[in-house]
Amino acid sequence: MWLKLFAAILTASIAAPTVAAEPEALPPYVPAYDPTTVDERGLWNQADELELLYKRSEHLIEDEELNAFVRRILCNTVGNDRCDGVRIYILNVPAFNASMMPNGAMAVWSGLLLRLRSEANLASVLAHEFAHFELRHNLQGFKNRRSASDMLAWTVVLGNAAAVDTRNSQISLFGSIFRFNRNMERQADLLALQYLKQSPYPSRASSQVWQYLMEEADARAAGRKIRRKDRYRAGFFDTHPTSLDRADYLLEKSMEYGDTGNAEQTAYFDAIQPWLPKLLADQVRLNDFGGTEYLLGNIAGVTGWTPELVLARAELYATRGKPRDLITATTLYLDAIDKGHETSEVLRGLGLSLVKSGRRKEGAEYLGRYLAQNPDAPDAAIIKMYVPKGDE
Amino acid sequence: MLTIRWLWYILLSCYLAFASMGISAQEKTGNREGFELEPGSVRIALLEPSVRVGSQSTGGMFEPNADWTEQAKENLEAELARKQELLGNEIVRLSLDNVPQNRELVQYHALFGAVASSVIEYQFFPGNRLPTKKKSKAFEWSVGPGLADIESLNGFDYILLIRTKDAYGSTGRKLLQVAGLLGAVAGFGTAVQSGEHIGMAGLVDVKTGDLVWLNADLAMGGDVRKVEGAEKRVRQLLEGFPGSSDSEN
Repeated sequence: MWLKLFAAILTASIAAPTVAAEPEALPPYVPAYDPTTVDERGLWNQADELELLYKRSEHLIEDEELNAFVRRILCNTVGNDRCDGVRIYILNVPAFNASMMPNGAMAVWSGLLLRLRSEANLASVLAHEFAHFELRHNLQGFKNRRSASDMLAWTVVLGNAAAVDTRNSQISLFGSIFRFNRNMERQADLLALQYLKQSPYPSRASSQVWQYLMEEADARAAGRKIRRKDRYRAGFFDTHPTSLDRADYLLEKSMEYGDTGNAEQTAYFDAIQPWLPKLLADQVRLNDFGGTEYLLGNIAGVTGWTPELVLARAELYATRGKPRDLITATTLYLDAIDKGHETSEVLRGLGLSLVKSGRRKEGAEYLGRYLAQNPDAPDAAIIKMYVPKGDE
Repeated sequence: MLTIRWLWYILLSCYLAFASMGISAQEKTGNREGFELEPGSVRIALLEPSVRVGSQSTGGMFEPNADWTEQAKENLEAELARKQELLGNEIVRLSLDNVPQNRELVQYHALFGAVASSVIEYQFFPGNRLPTKKKSKAFEWSVGPGLADIESLNGFDYILLIRTKDAYGSTGRKLLQVAGLLGAVAGFGTAVQSGEHIGMAGLVDVKTGDLVWLNADLAMGGDVRKVEGAEKRVRQLLEGFPGSSDSEN
């Protein structure tokens, strides 16, 4: 009898945890919010410690201009009052991600910047993270995981006591945790869209971010000759809705809003320009030929084939290094020189590509020029092996 | 919140928490062979201790508690300051905020935590020793050279690192534990561990990075939220500290 009661309570509680319906109005703004409950204060305390790790991290990009740029986009989008509560940390990680801590510390990975095409795209990601903060999702998620794992613990212990198989209940409890998280992500997406709607940026740029990611994933899959994934429905263990789902519901909602604005593509690339060579070099090293080729083509679609992009493409081919790739790489390096970009990277790459494809003499000439420019380069000793003595 | 690191957290806390842990055969102290410290011969830097205090939910999750953490930090720091003169050598506390190269120091603090966890796992549990270390009792652990390059450690011979994490079993967790025991009456019992009290203190040679002394325990005593408890905890952490005149305590 009591076991049936227990099962009934369990079923009810599995169904219960849902995130509040999507917000129709922006939440009221509270300046200088301070957490009060034990749980929230504990989470903030823990976040404060983690934030110190960001501050002291060797991956932190401290460049003032880049930080000011990212901050300006956030403030443009959510308003100056709201963005005051947020500290942004740009971390040197060449992948697409951003995250938010409960105390207002936001991390933005450098790889994110390379995968966006406009200020509006960046605004949508920053607003999404900000929405997690505003809606205190960290706390909600913590409470949800705690109640689900509490329930799970009782299920196991009481199930054992009654010698009943509770594996199905355990699985549904696990599932509820991930479902709850997916709902929070969706909610943050939609609140971010509202911020975008009332900002100078068009909200339609949100959906684009996910389209770009899917296209990149397809290109990567093609490059690695693996099957591409196209899923509408999230899997059991997915913490986020699928990219396709997000691209779809964000587009639908932004069409409903029908707002317009300038996405600021040129301004975006002007702002990240000083960092572009570094971001590209990191990307080339990821050994993701298809994905990188896609990214380069897309950036070129906005900025044209700038010498930096040509160099990155040359390095991409030279790194893969099949005989045909070396011909392509050599051509691209020469193109970069024609565009007036005779940097030491170009000379080194061109020289090595020529040497590898059997043209030792021409290669040695470029490598000699590389050494003349950088006599103290860390690889000077090994490069010298390709340069006949007396030619330096 | 685009990451899934808490997935591991849940899986671990839910399932591992049920595995009954036999901690009986565990050693708690390690000392590098031949290492001795004459009182008054060296200078030791005490790095700001890492302290985390919270409770353990029914399901085994760590629930951070800001007040307890602050209280415990205060208590432990006060007790450490009081104990310093009994340790036989000059000890200077280094705060991680105000020293140059604090990034490196923070990383070494975390690395020490990882090395100490490995020591607990692979040396203090003799049954877990790696195949090539089965017979040797030597205590050979290191955080690697590189400490010597950190300027703020100039003039110090050793650093003392202390880390504690306490998760006090919640009422729900204790009830679950009782239910787990009572379960054996009707069907199967379930072993549930309530509370987690990890403490580690180690002495690292600045020149070589070698871990010369370690005291680590997964079941420490002393309630760090209270002054008397912190006194007991610090006593346990520094038990057998090389060169200490307080060892009979």
